[in-house]
Amino acid sequence: MKSVITTVVTAADAAGRFPSSSDLESVQGSIQRAGARLEAAEKLAANIDNVAKEGYDACIKKYSYLNDAGQANSTDTFKSKCQRDIAHYLRLINYCLVVGGTGPLDEWGIAGQREVYRALNLPTAPYVAALKFIRDRGCAPRDMSAQALLEYNALVDYVINSLS
Amino acid sequence: MLDKFSRAVVSADSKTACIGGAELADLKGFIAEGNKRLDAVNSVASNASCAVSDAIAGMICENTGLIQAGGNCYPNRRMAACLRDGEIVLRYVTYALLAGDASVLEDRCLNGLKETYAALGVPLQSTARAVGIMKAIAVAHINQTNTEAMAGARYTKNDQPQGDCSALTAEAASYFDRVVSALS
Repeated sequence: MKSVITTVVTAADAAGRFPSSSDLESVQGSIQRAGARLEAAEKLAANIDNVAKEGYDACIKKYSYLNDAGQANSTDTFKSKCQRDIAHYLRLINYCLVVGGTGPLDEWGIAGQREVYRALNLPTAPYVAALKFIRDRGCAPRDMSAQALLEYNALVDYVINSLS
Repeated sequence: MLDKFSRAVVSADSKTACIGGAELADLKGFIAEGNKRLDAVNSVASNASCAVSDAIAGMICENTGLIQAGGNCYPNRRMAACLRDGEIVLRYVTYALLAGDASVLEDRCLNGLKETYAALGVPLQSTARAVGIMKAIAVAHINQTNTEAMAGARYTKNDQPQGDCSALTAEAASYFDRVVSALS
């Protein structure tokens, strides 16, 4: 899994040298920024179900046809799966906040995403609507500090871009 | 290869759980102690060649048969290979210490090392002894407990403002112990 430290170690190992002062400098840089990321991860983890529920409600409100018979949100099973998918993306965002890179989202969320949604005949627009609501709903300093919100929103944007 | 952060992610993903609470507190500790860790890596890396040559020399002093005809350090060629291997082990230990996780050491250095040495006829007990000396040297440098009496003419002191490094020392020692147990 890619993160700042593993990237530095891989480069040093390829050159066969001990960690140099510039290697240590770049790890230090990521450590300085990590405080805000971990704060965002903590706040998100504490509220993940509520955040997912709000995003889900907003997208179903916008795309109410999904409740019609035969559509993606028509039964209780479908409803819970839709909400679980939103929570799944939020969990991957939580992981990305912890490692300080998009590795978890890339490897476990985005790779194969298009193929899966096409195979299951799911529309991606409602996911975008839910994530966009979640993105706009975040507020500093009510939810988390401004810097933490910035890191969090950047990752939500990353998911939105992957879906649109 | 994993570091402290990606290790937390992989273990959380296996439970499909968010990272919060205790794991985050642990990672915050890693961040808060980050400078100490970088100082520790720096002090080991800066004294690497000294540590390696001392460890190999110490190993040979305790078992002089190694440099007599038929010993495993006998021609210079094999002595040089021995010094090179000592440096490689120490290098992977510093990587593990920097990452806060042993996976880089395990995957890239220890995996298959015992079998390789057995096939090449390298005495595992002597190797383990050299690693043990490197452990003592690294611990002394991280903890700033190296003394002139221990190091003699090669004594160097790194003056870093640190504080309590016992946790880092124990972590570094555990990586050396992993090397020793992988060889036994």
